[in-house]
Amino acid sequence: MFDKWLIRGDSLENVERDGTVAGFRFACRIADYRGCILSLHNGYYIEVDGTVYPREVQRFQVNGKPPRSFEEIKTCISEHWDFDDEGIVYVEAPGGLGPGVHRVGFQQSILSSYGYMPTDEEWIRNPPVPGQGAGAGKTEQICYYELELQKETAKL
Amino acid sequence: MMKRGVSLYSYQQEQFFKRMDFRDMVKEVHNLGCDGIEIIDESLIRQYPNPSEEFVSRFKDTLAEFGMRAVTMDVNMDPLLYRDHVMTHKECADRLIQDIKLGARLGFQNLRLCGVPIDAMELALPAAEDYNVRIGKEIHVPFTIRPNPEQADKHSFMPSQPYLCQEVIELAERKSTRHVGVIPDMGIFQHRISGSRFAYLVRHGANPGALRAADRLYARGLRQDALVSALRERGYPEQDAVTSAQATAFRSDVDPRDLLEIVPYILSIHGKFYEMTEIPGAEGQYEELSIDYDAPFYYLHKGGYEGYINSEYEGQRDAQDRDLEHLADEVEQVRWHHEMVGRLINTYWHA
Repeated sequence: MFDKWLIRGDSLENVERDGTVAGFRFACRIADYRGCILSLHNGYYIEVDGTVYPREVQRFQVNGKPPRSFEEIKTCISEHWDFDDEGIVYVEAPGGLGPGVHRVGFQQSILSSYGYMPTDEEWIRNPPVPGQGAGAGKTEQICYYELELQKETAKL
Repeated sequence: MMKRGVSLYSYQQEQFFKRMDFRDMVKEVHNLGCDGIEIIDESLIRQYPNPSEEFVSRFKDTLAEFGMRAVTMDVNMDPLLYRDHVMTHKECADRLIQDIKLGARLGFQNLRLCGVPIDAMELALPAAEDYNVRIGKEIHVPFTIRPNPEQADKHSFMPSQPYLCQEVIELAERKSTRHVGVIPDMGIFQHRISGSRFAYLVRHGANPGALRAADRLYARGLRQDALVSALRERGYPEQDAVTSAQATAFRSDVDPRDLLEIVPYILSIHGKFYEMTEIPGAEGQYEELSIDYDAPFYYLHKGGYEGYINSEYEGQRDAQDRDLEHLADEVEQVRWHHEMVGRLINTYWHA
């Protein structure tokens, strides 16, 4: 659900750290009708112009705190990502993205559910890799966006 | 008399696009001439499960401003929350107790639970009684009122709970409590492909004739493989046969008469609907062609039901493949639903 609007159209920008472009970021919403306890948030399938950026190079910013890795997010059992709020996804990619329009593939993974499921033990041991539909809530397919890189570079 | 309300879930798209805030929604429901409010806790409560005092005051003040009642709060249970182990049933009960306290803080009468195991419900029951918040399990597709294990196991996104109703009633009786019950979702009375889903499928290449044929064959009792075969025999291409049969799969097939057995345990009802359309020849009157409301209302009245039915609009999702200007109008759809629900209440409760 909300497939076309999960990434804010004018939010893709490069990120600069210590004077060099270290990657890019964009703003997104929850692909469901409810928020989630942050620990359940399991990362993203992110593909830009055919290159896939795995969970290990992603960080997530919400609730006015600095960007955190998904290993750290996993421990946030008493923090909530509210439905109304945007989160910012940071991707480590030295040099960042080139100017112009990029084709971005996106799928969120949040391990919320309607109750105990047969996959529970397996997902504790091996959290699903985002992009296979696991934890994708009401958006089972990968959504594609044509996003223009903003001229401003964010400073971290 | 059965009372009307709205689950603010119905306005999820308006909320997503920030076109309606909580107060706008409550005001709209008030203008429907009813006083019932239902919410999804994690959709509306900022920093769930520990909202600020300021949030709680504003929430209660807004309801008071429009003379509304906090009927049911829908809560969830995420077994993977701790990420280093699957939540135990004791931890599940603790989360439910936390939700009960939160529900009480906000003034709710009932909590709607999904996959909370019955033993966790029992552990939380003393808190439900202490805080005077009733806890009810939702009877949602694919579940049924009478046990139906085959049906309950057909869908992969819900935990299997074939004996849901029996377990709840047994617990209520054993504990002699009025604080546990069930919350039926009207979706269990769906009998054909919804208008919104039909339109979505056709936009994505489905064959309208095959979809209509699937509905007719379903009504004659054909299911799954037998339904696909029957469509093939009628000359529909393989893809059309499979797609159309799949479109009929998400059903409970509950007999409305079954409601009579559970009326005393019903805490509130989800008035699920997908698409309201004007009744041909009856200007200003609307119907939900895919879900039977008439017979269930008859049996709810016969059983003496006096609680709330809260509209739960879900058809907006089916139009979200379209552009912004072609999205469904949630406000209008809920208004039309209330026309139908109000009319049926008048038919049975005032007859």
